[in-house]
Amino acid sequence: MKLLVVEDEAKTGDYVRQGLMESGFVVDLARTGLDGHHLALTGSYDLIVLDVMLPDVDGWRIVRALRDAKSSTPVLFLTARDSVEDRVKGLELGADDYLVKPFAFSELLARVRTLLRRGLAPAFQDQLQVADLVLDIPRRRAQRQNVRINLTNKEFALLELLVRRQGEVLPRSLIASQVWDMNFDSDTNVIDVAIRRLRAKIDDDYEPKLIHTVRGMGYMFDVTHTD
Amino acid sequence: MERRPASLAVRLTVSIGAVITVVLLTFGWIVERSINNHFIQQDVDELNAVVQALTHTLATLPTNIAPAELSERFANAISGHHNAEYRISSEDGAQIYATPGSNLDRFARIAQPVEKITVDTVGIWKDHGQTFRGAVLRTSSDGSPGADMLTITVATGINFHLHYLESFRNYLRIITVAACLIAILATWLAVHQGHAPIRRISREMRRIRSDQLHVRLEPDAVPTELVELATSFNGMLERLENVFRRLSDFSGDIAHELRTPITNLKTQTEVALSQARNVEQYREVLYSNLEEYERMAKMLSDMLFLAQADNKLLKPELVEIDLEAEMRMLFDYFGAWAEEREVGLELVGPQVCILGDRLMIRRALSNLLSNAIRYTPAGGAVTATFGVESTNVRVSIQNPGPPIPAEHIVHIFERFYRPDASRKRSGEGAGLGLAIAKSIVEAHGGKISAGSTAKATVFAILLPGTEC
Repeated sequence: MKLLVVEDEAKTGDYVRQGLMESGFVVDLARTGLDGHHLALTGSYDLIVLDVMLPDVDGWRIVRALRDAKSSTPVLFLTARDSVEDRVKGLELGADDYLVKPFAFSELLARVRTLLRRGLAPAFQDQLQVADLVLDIPRRRAQRQNVRINLTNKEFALLELLVRRQGEVLPRSLIASQVWDMNFDSDTNVIDVAIRRLRAKIDDDYEPKLIHTVRGMGYMFDVTHTD
Repeated sequence: MERRPASLAVRLTVSIGAVITVVLLTFGWIVERSINNHFIQQDVDELNAVVQALTHTLATLPTNIAPAELSERFANAISGHHNAEYRISSEDGAQIYATPGSNLDRFARIAQPVEKITVDTVGIWKDHGQTFRGAVLRTSSDGSPGADMLTITVATGINFHLHYLESFRNYLRIITVAACLIAILATWLAVHQGHAPIRRISREMRRIRSDQLHVRLEPDAVPTELVELATSFNGMLERLENVFRRLSDFSGDIAHELRTPITNLKTQTEVALSQARNVEQYREVLYSNLEEYERMAKMLSDMLFLAQADNKLLKPELVEIDLEAEMRMLFDYFGAWAEEREVGLELVGPQVCILGDRLMIRRALSNLLSNAIRYTPAGGAVTATFGVESTNVRVSIQNPGPPIPAEHIVHIFERFYRPDASRKRSGEGAGLGLAIAKSIVEAHGGKISAGSTAKATVFAILLPGTEC
């Protein structure tokens, strides 16, 4: 997967590139709007991460040029201003998602993966299986080591999210947004409690542990991960 | 650019000056007319007297009178009327007698003969620099019908009347102009004088600097007309002062709130770098930093939200929201957390709906609910009550627990306000949750209030309702 990052702030650009590369992506970094514009139109990328506040050619123009050229490359834009107009403008111009600075890298990574997955044919699997955990999606049932585990609706939704995105660090805000439709940060540790309860049901009595805490970032579902 | 409206002094002076001029001109015109009418009446009286004397003379004329005798009689008939001139002619126009030196032939020819001399039937003409008023009268020679008809032309010189009128008119003009000038000057002075209080107020306003926003104008010390101005200005000053104070408090708060995490980060990093450590220890420092950054980022985004609310930039996207359903969703979200704290969640009341921004309303309710759950002792229950008050919808979120003292509750919605100064920062947010809830409710045209008794603390929001 090849990504283009257009970011004029040197440190942010470097770390975003490093982080994405270490997550397994090939990353080109453009440090000016002009370079970004050129690369976006000539290169072949699976996704573009675009800062809109660029001193020369701003991000809006790049998105517009891209869409004018009939390119459907997903665009995730980064904005410093949390204003509705900015968001609406970006999405109207054809951007696919946005993040407000300062953002958490884990959040950026999760959004990038979501966007990349969107292009793929959705996997309509009736059954998900990781190690000895089996999820029966239509019946909303889970079992581990062939033992049926009783989960509430939300617990099942949470588990399904974790399983579908195994190997990814899921920030708490993303979990709250995907499972409960709560699109804002809460001061509470609601997600931690929910994960703890889920763990009690699917992990506590079993090995290997599947749900892992990634400190300072969120949670990850993985078979081989070691805390 | 729009033109500046004319100055008040000019406006007042011009309008008052115009009114005075019109009044004076009208007055002068009336006086002049009545004097003129009076003169005409006088002339008519004189002419009639002359005619009477002439008719009398005519009636007593002997039949065969010598021309010299005739002239003498006529000349004597009108002694005392120096200005009067007259001419008597027979029906065929032959002159019988005329005042010596007079020249009434032309007038006698062109003027329409009248039966009686009145104000309306006299005429005016000019002859050799003299102006005359006169009339042509037809009468019988001896007053009896059937006698020879005679034409009597009488006139009186009115030059001195006209001179009088002319000088009167000039006099009037001078008086009018002078009176207008005086009136305009007086008006201007009065206006200028009248504006003195405005200038005084303006001087006072100029003295108010940004560090003296507490200074107020004295509404009792200005004329009645300016009381409103002074009061409005004081009102504006008060609003400015409030915003100003809030802003400086806010930036002070930000600095204060950021100082702690930055100090932590700095100390931690410095200590970590002061000697070589193993990877695990470095990782620990970075994790700890990450948590600190998270908190700061969250605080920043909350503060940005509040700044937008302050600048009236929150533009709710209105959709119909079933508040009860929203609350159930939040109960679902917070359920596990509440359960773990052994706090129950209860919902009372009818289904109520509002028009609002779903994300914002959810956020406001979430802040109130999480706050309530947090302060409920184990075993207690948070109750969300819905109600309808005329066109409004009321949502109360009540929790048992230690009461919030009255001195704190008035400040409870202020940003960064924490009743308990020693309360730990960690896990409790930055003290912006209630301020955000308040901003959201107010952006929706609603009201939020807080009350606390020994038994329970209640946060209530009142929002314009809509049909479900």
